[in-house]
This record gives sequence, C-alpha cells and structure tokens, in this order.
Amino acid sequence: MNPLFEKIAQFVKNNCQADDYTLNISLGDSHETRFAQNGITQHIAGPNLSINLEVAFGQKTGSCRVNQADEETLKYLIQTAQDIARYNRPDPEYMPSVGAQELPKVDNSDPETRELEPEKMVEIVSESIARAKAWDATVSGMTEKHLWEVGLFTKNGFAGSDTSTNFGHSMTLKKGSVETKVSYSAKDFGGFSLEEELDRLGSQADSLADLHDFDPEKIPVILRPSAWEELLWFMAWMMNRRQSDEGFTPYTGKLGEAFFGPKFSLRSTLKEARLSALPWDMEGIASKEITWVENGVLKNLPTNRHWAKEKNIEPLSVYNFFIPGDDVSEEEMMAMVPRGLIINRFWYIRTVDAKAGEFTGMTRDGVLYFEDGKVRHAVNNLRFNEIPHDATRRILALGKQELTSSIGLMPSLMIDGFNFVDKTSF
Amino acid sequence: MKYLDLAMNAAESLGAEYADIRVQKTTDEVIFLQNLSLKNTSNSVLYGYGIRFFKDGAWGFAHSNVFSDEAVLETVKRAAEIAELSAKMNRPKQLRLAPERSYIAKYETPVLKDPACIPLKEKIELMLEVNRTMLSFEGIRRAMFYLVMHRDEKLFGSTLGSRLELNTQWITPVMTATAVHDGDSQSRSFNDGGRAAGWEWIESLNLIEKSKQVAEEALIKVKAEPLGPEQRRTLILDPNHLGLTMHESVGHPTELDRVLGWEADYAGISFATPEKLKNYRYGSEIVNFMGDNTLCEGLATAGFDDDGVPGQKWFIIKDGILNEYGSTRDTALEIGLESSRGCNRATYYYDQPINRIPNLYLLPGKEELTPAELIADTEDGVYIQGQGSFSIDQHRVNFQFGGDFFWEIKNGKLHRPLKKVLYKSNNPEFWNSCDAICDERFWRPFGVINCGKGQPSQTARMTHGASTARFRNIRVGGSQ
Repeated sequence: MNPLFEKIAQFVKNNCQADDYTLNISLGDSHETRFAQNGITQHIAGPNLSINLEVAFGQKTGSCRVNQADEETLKYLIQTAQDIARYNRPDPEYMPSVGAQELPKVDNSDPETRELEPEKMVEIVSESIARAKAWDATVSGMTEKHLWEVGLFTKNGFAGSDTSTNFGHSMTLKKGSVETKVSYSAKDFGGFSLEEELDRLGSQADSLADLHDFDPEKIPVILRPSAWEELLWFMAWMMNRRQSDEGFTPYTGKLGEAFFGPKFSLRSTLKEARLSALPWDMEGIASKEITWVENGVLKNLPTNRHWAKEKNIEPLSVYNFFIPGDDVSEEEMMAMVPRGLIINRFWYIRTVDAKAGEFTGMTRDGVLYFEDGKVRHAVNNLRFNEIPHDATRRILALGKQELTSSIGLMPSLMIDGFNFVDKTSF
Repeated sequence: MKYLDLAMNAAESLGAEYADIRVQKTTDEVIFLQNLSLKNTSNSVLYGYGIRFFKDGAWGFAHSNVFSDEAVLETVKRAAEIAELSAKMNRPKQLRLAPERSYIAKYETPVLKDPACIPLKEKIELMLEVNRTMLSFEGIRRAMFYLVMHRDEKLFGSTLGSRLELNTQWITPVMTATAVHDGDSQSRSFNDGGRAAGWEWIESLNLIEKSKQVAEEALIKVKAEPLGPEQRRTLILDPNHLGLTMHESVGHPTELDRVLGWEADYAGISFATPEKLKNYRYGSEIVNFMGDNTLCEGLATAGFDDDGVPGQKWFIIKDGILNEYGSTRDTALEIGLESSRGCNRATYYYDQPINRIPNLYLLPGKEELTPAELIADTEDGVYIQGQGSFSIDQHRVNFQFGGDFFWEIKNGKLHRPLKKVLYKSNNPEFWNSCDAICDERFWRPFGVINCGKGQPSQTARMTHGASTARFRNIRVGGSQ
C-alpha cells in the first residue's frame, strides 16, 4: 500500500472524533497529448490527489474532500466533515461503514503502461499524423496514459487499496467529406498496435468514400461493439433496483422475467484478464461474479446497501460489462437479411422517456449500407429513437467479442428493425 | 502571491515566448436531498496551480497541488519540456497567439448574501420543507432537491506582466417532483440553472410556492395524453427551454476551436465555417445573438478569461446573419481575427483552458409582445416549458429536443396538457422559422453549469437568455 495512504488513514484514525467514518483516497498521474488537424493542440501532465472523508454522528452525516495531504489540510478535512455532520439533520437511510472484508485479487495494472514515456506517446502521435498526411487527410485525437492508486478505509475496519493503469489512443480521420474514428483504451499498452489501428482507420475511411443519401426507416443494423457500448451505458444507467421498485424505470416488476431477448446476456466479471475490475464498490462491498441478464432473463439489478437492507437482498454494483458473443462474422450477418446498415459508433445519446427506457442519438464515424450480402456504399448519418432492452429482443446474431474499453468486452450485435427517425446532411 | 513571479521568471529563463500561471482554489458546497433523506452534504476544496508554457508554436501544460518554490519550479520545467516535445511535432504547423496587453486588475462576483455565511441548518430546513411540500401531493413518489454553491478564487500571472485576482461564485437550486400513475412515471422540475449571485437569489425565488406548482404539474403531466404522430406544427418555446436550444445549436457551432476542427475527435466540429461569416443566414431577421462576458449575474462573467483577456460583448448573429465566433488567443489568428474575444476557460486548476461558449443570449423582440399575446395569436401549436431530452449531431446541424412541460394550443388558447413531446429540426431551418419574440420584459436568463467538452473532459459554465419565442412549421410529435 502507498505509504501516503497509510499516513493519511492513520491521521484520520487518530484525529476523527465521529462515531463512524469512511475515507476514500485516490492518487493519479496522467499524461495527455491532444492533437487536431495534424498538429498537437494541448499537452497536459500532472498528478491528482483526492481525499474524501465521510463521517457520521449517529445518523447525521457530513463529508469533505480536499486534494492536499499536509497536516493542516487533513485537520481541515476532519473538522469540516465533522462540523457538517453535527449541524446536519439525521439521514433516515444512513448506513454504517463496512467492516473488514475478503477482497478479490485483481490485476488492473500493467508495467508496460506504467513505464510508457512521454517521448513515446508523442512518437505515436507523430506516426499517426504522418500516415494521415500520406493519405492527404487530417487526423485528430488524443494519446493518454493514466496511473491510479485508490484506497478505502473505514472506522469499522475496512482497509483496501488497488492500483490501475490505462492507455488510450484515439484517432478521427477526415479526408474530404469522410470522417471516421478508431480508438483503443485498455489497461495494457502492450496490447496496442498502432499499425493495426491505422490499418483499421484507413480501411474504414476507404469504405466510406462513396456516400449516398439515405432516408430514415426501421431497418436491420449491425452495431459494431463501440456503437453498442455507447447504448449499453445508457441502458445500464436505468438498471437500478430501487428506482425500479419505486416505479421509475422499465424494469419495474421484471426481475426473473425474460425481459430481454434470448440471445442477450450481461455480466460483471473478475475472471476476464482483459477487463479491469475494482475490488470493491463505492460503498466498500467486495466485487464478485454477477449475472445481470442471462439468456434474456433479468436476474439482478444494481442495489445499494440501504435498499439491499430494506429488501433483505444483497447489495450489488456494476464494475465492468461482459457480453458473451457468438463469433458470427459481419459477412455472415449481412447474408441473413436482404438489406441493412452497419454502424460504427453512436453519439449524443440522451433519454427520451425514462419509464419506457427510450433513448435518442445519432450515428457517427461512418454508416455503411449493405444489400444482398455485400456492402454497397456509405450513407449519411441518422438519428434513432430506440428502446435498447426492446432492441435486444430483435437480436438476430452476435459477433466476436472485442475490447471496447478497459471495462467493456462485447460483440457486435445484429438487430432487426432498428428505429431510425431522421437524417442529417452529412 | 510570490509563486506568480517565481513561475513567470522561471518560464522566461527557460525561453518561453509566453507563459502563464493560474493558481486556483475551487470550493463546492453540495447538498442533495431525496425523499427527506440527505444523500450528500459535502464540502470540496481543490487547490493547486496550472502552468502554460508556449514556445515554438506549441503548448505545454503542467499542474501541481504542491505549494513550494521547488514544486513550482519543477512544474514550470515540466511544462517547458512538454512544450518542447509538442513543438518538435508541430513544425511546420505552429500555433500562434493573438496579441494581448497586460492588466493589473481584480474582479469579484457581486453578492449581497454570501451563501457560505448562511447556516447549514437554514439551507437544509428550506430543502426539507420543499421536499415535504412535494411529497404531500398524492401521487408524487419522489422529491429531489439539489443545491450547489460554487466558488473559484484565482490568481493569474503571465509573462506579459498581467497580475489578476478573480473571485467568482455561483449558486444553483434544482428541485424535481416525480409522479407515478397508471404504469407511467413523469417528472417536472424547477431548474433555472446557475446564477452568479448570492443567497439573496434563493430567497427571491419563493421555492416553497414553486414546489407546489412543480408537484401539481408533475401530476398533470403523468396523466396527460401523448401528442399524436409527428407533423409540421407551430412551436412556442419559453426562455428556459430556449436556453438549452441555443446552447446546442448556436453556442457550440460558433466556438472557433470547433470551427477549426480542434474538437473533431470528441465534441465535434461545426457547420458554421469561416466562409459563412457576414453572409450566412443563420436565422430570420429578428434573430440576434449576443456573446457577452460582461453580463450581470452571468456564469461566464469573470472580468477576464484564462488567457488574461478581458470580458467583451459582441454580436455572434446579427439580424439573422452569422457575424462572429467566440475565440481564444490561440484560435483567433487562424481566421485572421486581430484579437481574442476572451472565451478561453478551464474548469479546475489542473485543466488546460479551452475555447468555451460565452454568456450567449437571444435579444428580445423590439415590439411590445407578451407570451399571452403570442399564444392568443397562435391557432394551432405546442407550447413547451423547461428542458428535457436533447441531442444534436457532431456538426451541430440536426437536432431533437424534448421539454419539461407541454401544452397543446388550439385557437389561441392552452387547450390540453401533453407529455412525451419531441421536436426535430436543423440548422438553419430552426432559427429561420422564428417569426416572433416577446419583448424585454419577458427576457429570462438560464445558467448552464455542466457544459461538457474537451479531452480530458471539462465542464464549463455560461449563461443564456431569451424571451418566449415562436417558431413556425417545425416537425413536432410524440416519442416512439
């Protein structure tokens, strides 16, 4: 454990007079090289420290966050949190801090990412720009490296820490009217191949060169993993046990039912080495294998400790997304329907109707039209209004899993009758 | 503060063509109450400094939370090293900074009652009363109140010789009632966004009375009928709603960094490209948008931006024509502007400032016109109050908006309440369809406190404003 964390935890333990406390510490170091139109526009480096203390006197709580670890600031941290709690009103939903727990062993840190030097990151940017210039195009994006250490300590005896790394490189290519993007984001730099990313970028750009006008309609789509992940985030945000029990989400009364399509399953897992997984959640509950949806049946919903106690169930949190795939290739998918669209990504998804679970959003970075089993041409971007859980009932096929981020592993999905309602001019 | 001189002297000795240091302490007091349960009562203080180093056409930005001579000098050195790395890459395409003079100045948000001096108990009692009032309505299942009091204390020094002390603050109360009825759930909120004002603003709002109205309207909304299929209709939009519409469809497209493609990888670019300046009909002749970082109680009003450029007021759209952008020192020269409009802002000390929307508002109509007269003058349409769903493409052309409360208008009267209303439009159709704007008596501000942009992501604040306005022939209909 980081000695700074131990020092802060000891100081709080020695000086906090509250009946209970939870101390969260995170220490990060980031390097971010941002480029646009074939030049570097921003270049950022520095550490970030966050120390958050939540205290309680009886059911009265207060919290304070600071970003410095000197004694004077830590005294301020404790005093402020205690003052707020003393003057606060009792919280009827207050839960005491968690005690010591057996935490799962996770490996969220990659030595190669840790050792990555800024010079190498700029070299990656430089090679990306050189390739774009060779294509007579411009590229914009960001190369980033993050190192994090987090720690959680409670008065009731919880003490845990974890380290993690993340490397990311994104590139948006613009060549004439064609815009398309690829991105890599994972805990390990070792899994990154600039050549592969550039090949994919070039291939996507080539496929989009012939743009045709296309009117919105309900049509089969192949959602590439990055597109589906965008939608999943919003769908998952609604998956909350309490909100559902109280009638605010589409999942009200649906636990145990085949509410999703039979081809759809969703898990959070500690067993997949490519995925990062925090060993505990925000409340200090140890992470474990969780099945949220199994073959279409809604098995569990995220639940905080208070609601878990109310309902006499286990508290559960989402810590990563694992959706099993089926290895059907895009070619095989295209052969399954007369015509359809391939979507690279979505953009600007927002809730339309929380109770219905309906969202709107736009396609971005390339839409391809296929017919008779072959890609025919690119089409303009489209707006959808769609209900994702309902869309899973229309899944025709699942592709091979791909890493979409350090916490997302999922396949492409072929969905029938995806509801496009508008188009844009490009 | 001695560190300003120390850092700037060190930057000059390392060969900076320009450098600045921004020492920033950000304090947030947050209280979140839901169904009488205090979910969050917290105080947050983030304190540190960011140093920008410009050399050979490239930036380096390093930040630290450690205040010592050694740490400051180390941070300057790191910024210089990063700038050098960037500069090697940027040849021959170098960034350039628009000229600016130095300033010695101080700015402070004018407030009558500093929220930090209001006892916590008083704030919580008010919030509890609002919660209780909402929950006293049968059918209201969730009552929420979110209160944020935010303060930024900045010291800015640059190698131009500027030394600025900028102390700003804002406050935002958001309260929401959610009703459940017959298998549906609908919410209604009071949300005027943030305002650069003190506790006196909260006191002036009469939140207890407003909470009754919010609860009543949530119940009306959940029992309302959806609008039928989409068709071309007349829309009347209230100032609160227009705050979001203009933010997305005028504010972002006229940020010069987007126009230049600097946000291509994430936030997107803009259809409003430089060849359209002074000739592109963005809106009808009655549509005038001001950029105004001098606006009283405006969230982007801070005296100076994070380039050390003073707040200004200018036409972004004049008589319906695209007039100018919001710009920064590193974007202005790219399209031949002589100077920046002062739109470079960072969120926290560890953020490198980026081109942001200024306070941006629609000027009121010149003829006397009330919202009631506007409705009376409308035979068939939909009146939308407040904000709901919003989505726009990455060029800022095609968009879809919802709202918070809806009325169908028939024969000049509010005919029946509606729910699940959406409208779809695009630039330039939407602003060209504007045929009436109420007069200045009905102009209201809306302060955005969470405008997301940039990589790494930052959230900026700015104030919008409008009087109720009418738009003809827009596609309006129900959701799925």
